[in-house]
Amino acid sequence: MNIARKFLSTIAASTVVLGAFGLMGCNEDKAAESTSVKVGLLHSLTGPMAISEKSVRDAEVLAIEQINKAGGVLGKQIVFVEEDGASEPSTFATKAEKLIDIEKVATVFGCWTSSSRKAVKPIFEEYKSLLWYPVQYEGMEMSPNIVYTGAAPNQQIVPAIEYLISKGYKKLFLLGSDYVFPRTANMIINAQAKAAGISVVGEEYADMDQTDFAAIIAKIEAAKPDVIVNTLNGTGNVSFFKQMSEKNYSSKEYMTMSFSIAEEEVATIGPAILKGHLVSWNYYQTTSTPENTAFVAAYKEKFGANRVTSDPAEAAYDAVYLWAEAVKAAKSFEVDAVLAAIKSGSISYKAPEGVVAIDGKSQHLAKPVRVGEVSEDGLIKEVYATAAPVAPDPYLTTYDWAVKAGLQPLN
Amino acid sequence: MKALRLFERHGSNITFGIIVFILAMMPVLLMMGVVSGGSTILFLGKCISFAIVAIGIDLIWGYTGILSLGHGLYFALGGYAMAMYLKMQATGGHLTDFMHIGGLTEMPLIWVPFTLSPGSLLLVIIAPAVVAWIVGYFIFKNRVKGVYFSIISQALTWAACSLFIAMSPYTNGNVGITEIKSIFGSIKGSANQGNMFLLFYVSLIALIAVYALSKFLVERKFGKVLIAIRDGENRTYFSGYPVSRYKTFIYVLSAIFAGIAGAIFVNFNGCITPSQMTITYSIGMVIWVAIGGRGTIIGAVIGAFFINICEYNLSSGSTVEIWQYIIGVLFCVTILFFKGGIVGLVRDKVPSLFKKV
Amino acid sequence: MEQTINILFNGLSLSSIILLTSLGLAITFGVMRVINMAHGEFVMIGAYMTFVVQQLFAKFLPESIGGLYYFVAIIAAFGVAFGLGSLLEKFVISRLYGREIDSLLATWGISLILQQGARSIFGSQGVNVTAPSFLSGGITLGECTFSYNRIFIILLVALCMGAVWLVMYKSNFGRQMRAVMQNRPMAQCMGINSRKVDNLTFAMGSGFAGIAGCSVALLGSIDSTVGQSYIVNSFMAVVLGGVGNLIGTVIGSGIIGISSIFTENYTSSTIAKAVVLLIVIVFLQKRPQGLFVIKSRNLD
Repeated sequence: MNIARKFLSTIAASTVVLGAFGLMGCNEDKAAESTSVKVGLLHSLTGPMAISEKSVRDAEVLAIEQINKAGGVLGKQIVFVEEDGASEPSTFATKAEKLIDIEKVATVFGCWTSSSRKAVKPIFEEYKSLLWYPVQYEGMEMSPNIVYTGAAPNQQIVPAIEYLISKGYKKLFLLGSDYVFPRTANMIINAQAKAAGISVVGEEYADMDQTDFAAIIAKIEAAKPDVIVNTLNGTGNVSFFKQMSEKNYSSKEYMTMSFSIAEEEVATIGPAILKGHLVSWNYYQTTSTPENTAFVAAYKEKFGANRVTSDPAEAAYDAVYLWAEAVKAAKSFEVDAVLAAIKSGSISYKAPEGVVAIDGKSQHLAKPVRVGEVSEDGLIKEVYATAAPVAPDPYLTTYDWAVKAGLQPLN
Repeated sequence: MKALRLFERHGSNITFGIIVFILAMMPVLLMMGVVSGGSTILFLGKCISFAIVAIGIDLIWGYTGILSLGHGLYFALGGYAMAMYLKMQATGGHLTDFMHIGGLTEMPLIWVPFTLSPGSLLLVIIAPAVVAWIVGYFIFKNRVKGVYFSIISQALTWAACSLFIAMSPYTNGNVGITEIKSIFGSIKGSANQGNMFLLFYVSLIALIAVYALSKFLVERKFGKVLIAIRDGENRTYFSGYPVSRYKTFIYVLSAIFAGIAGAIFVNFNGCITPSQMTITYSIGMVIWVAIGGRGTIIGAVIGAFFINICEYNLSSGSTVEIWQYIIGVLFCVTILFFKGGIVGLVRDKVPSLFKKV
Repeated sequence: MEQTINILFNGLSLSSIILLTSLGLAITFGVMRVINMAHGEFVMIGAYMTFVVQQLFAKFLPESIGGLYYFVAIIAAFGVAFGLGSLLEKFVISRLYGREIDSLLATWGISLILQQGARSIFGSQGVNVTAPSFLSGGITLGECTFSYNRIFIILLVALCMGAVWLVMYKSNFGRQMRAVMQNRPMAQCMGINSRKVDNLTFAMGSGFAGIAGCSVALLGSIDSTVGQSYIVNSFMAVVLGGVGNLIGTVIGSGIIGISSIFTENYTSSTIAKAVVLLIVIVFLQKRPQGLFVIKSRNLD
């Protein structure tokens, strides 16, 4: 009895393991796909980042469906393979490898946080594949295998601070979540403020899942700034603004300039609380271009009338179209050919935010910059816009104060 | 009959042998084109590191009855030590970008050993061991046990994770240490297959060594004492065994295993971040052991491979919306009805089926 | 002076939030010895219930009584969390008595399911709850502003504590509950239906988590991960205070809340979080059973 038991346990246990390996084999697509081309979507659908990344993923799906309806790219329909990054950089790395190496996708649209992008960057470089990163970020990076369709710091942060200075704000308080984007952004703002002769009266970092901002608000009260430059991310924004309003503070007492609050966040914080506060992006749902009217209508039709479009969602939508443009120019889905087309600097697209063109050297987009004010209906009203698209400058090399402060990385 | 007796005595060893054999064959299958994609090997490499940490958790939980919800801390400590060394290899001992952004102009003290010699790699073992010894020494001496220990270990990991995030000039905060190559050089892409296989087989040997050492320990009187502690701590005390010393020893050993696992993980993964020391990640490790079968070393190995392969395949494509449900239900059902996990299930149910046949 | 008052009030307010989230735990963990890792998800359920009730009010009732939704939400959150807690006890927890560590792991699985459930029902994005008019804003005395919502939470905690005290020490059910907790076989011999007591106790603990959800809904984001941000502090408060002792939990929450605010005043919030946890851990070395110990000669 006992002998048989042990013996069988051995057999069965190994069957389980073998079966699990078998599962891995099933994933391969053996059929030669001549009528379609595979792309990968890599976002967090579970975990804390799912709050933000869902809308970006939705915009990418929308763009893919629209392109397919219009006949696809080079006569092929786009098929997307979706992977969950689970808000965890290592999972992003594993899944990026899976998409590139096993699924053999033509390109990947994905990531939101800088930590996930930094985790997958070497993978895309070593496999010589291509990632489209759709979110504004802290700059100081230029990977030959990533196209950045969100704003570089000089297309969001720097003009926003210039705008604040032009409006006569003199005392800044820098508040951010404790991670790389706020820390780098604040390093830039510190240098910029110093050069402009205005003062930074405080700099605070909140824990990523901070729920109580009482102590931070007390620090703000003590520092008496006339504007708070806010780089909080995700749930932190909701807690911070709700708790500011508890203390009867509105944009009259403490103006804020936020870099991570788009229409989506306004909806979860509540327009009544955010009314009058400033934000800086490249696109708003209210941006008046014919392309945007069509985009907003299509987005609402597909995902529901109560959904709103936002800058990251628009940048993700652009990413898919720009990739399609680059493929058309290259007449090939091969990464090298697509990258060569991008490098030529001739890829552009009439996006909802206006015409965007990929700068061949930095692989960032030239984008218009818009400062906006949150209005009562939950939308964001543009109060200032640059006359022409701003050329990307991820390392801020064209700004004297930035060069003088030595912001650029060492090597 | 003789063969059967062999199985009776060495059932789990034979299962382990089969797993090792399959793993060892994977590179060969890849070369033959049966398995597509070198990243499968990289993924299995990560699974090997998970199996090692799972064995460590099984030693303290399955055998000794101490549930640590904070082994991610030791995993990450080993990983960070390895990553810091590799990063210094990559930068040639110069300051990194994040130190520059953090305003540092000199190499911080904590990084200095890694610029000096490969001997600093010993920190992969020393760092987790020292932290675990300090924690274990006080906690077990003060007879904190059961769920209190679990909650404290979880809080400790949380605190450490916060510190790593807060000290961003030294640790690069949330982003962690990225852009590093493995200890044998680049391992990605077909050009570097040789390096990848070398790393893979070295890791496999590490897994075999950890398995063998654990088996050696638990099959001796030492292992029986551990089980005695699990089943009746006070009685073991009264029998004259220095329980807290046994506990500290096994806790430190499992932390060392976790550290080694973390170091292997970094080589395959190419980065280490504080999310490896979160509570979620740490509880995930316990789940592997619970599903595989606690109290059997082979169960930990099976669980680590099984759950990770499931997750790898389920959290994508059409199942992306429901994979959390599947994992959650699988987990609840295992705990509720199959306390022994996969190994226990096989042991209990299969013989009766066999009889019927 | 203002600063001191501010720190005290903020500390008190944070303590009361921690206490509200750990009150349910103090009951389920302290009294029943069940480690409910899904406790945070019951807080999440409460927060989502606030949202649901608000939506229903906005849809079906005139705007003038809109502010009342919050009281209905508190009751609804308690009710729903109570019901789900009862179900959870019946189908999962009841099979795990005496297996503390297994209850911890099984409820972790439950928490994964509940989180994904919230994502499936309400979407990945967070939802918004507007504070009722009588709770928005605050009262300014001199230089300090005391928010109505936080004053309300302090009162709510006091009320909940009072209710728990009444139930535990003044009701027949409470007597049965304490009897089961102190000596289960003896209580059963006296004709107490211990399974029913267990079920109601667990449901009650979950219900209080639901009420906590209503409060945190006004303070921050409402999404599928909201419970996770509160769970560790709640466990620490219960352990610090001494398991099985409500007064201990009150003091444990107070220590964690006030020391968090105090430390954060001098350093960044990330470091403050780590420092407070480390202090608590070191303290527990000195008194492993927490501040208040129920004396017992019981050994295994």
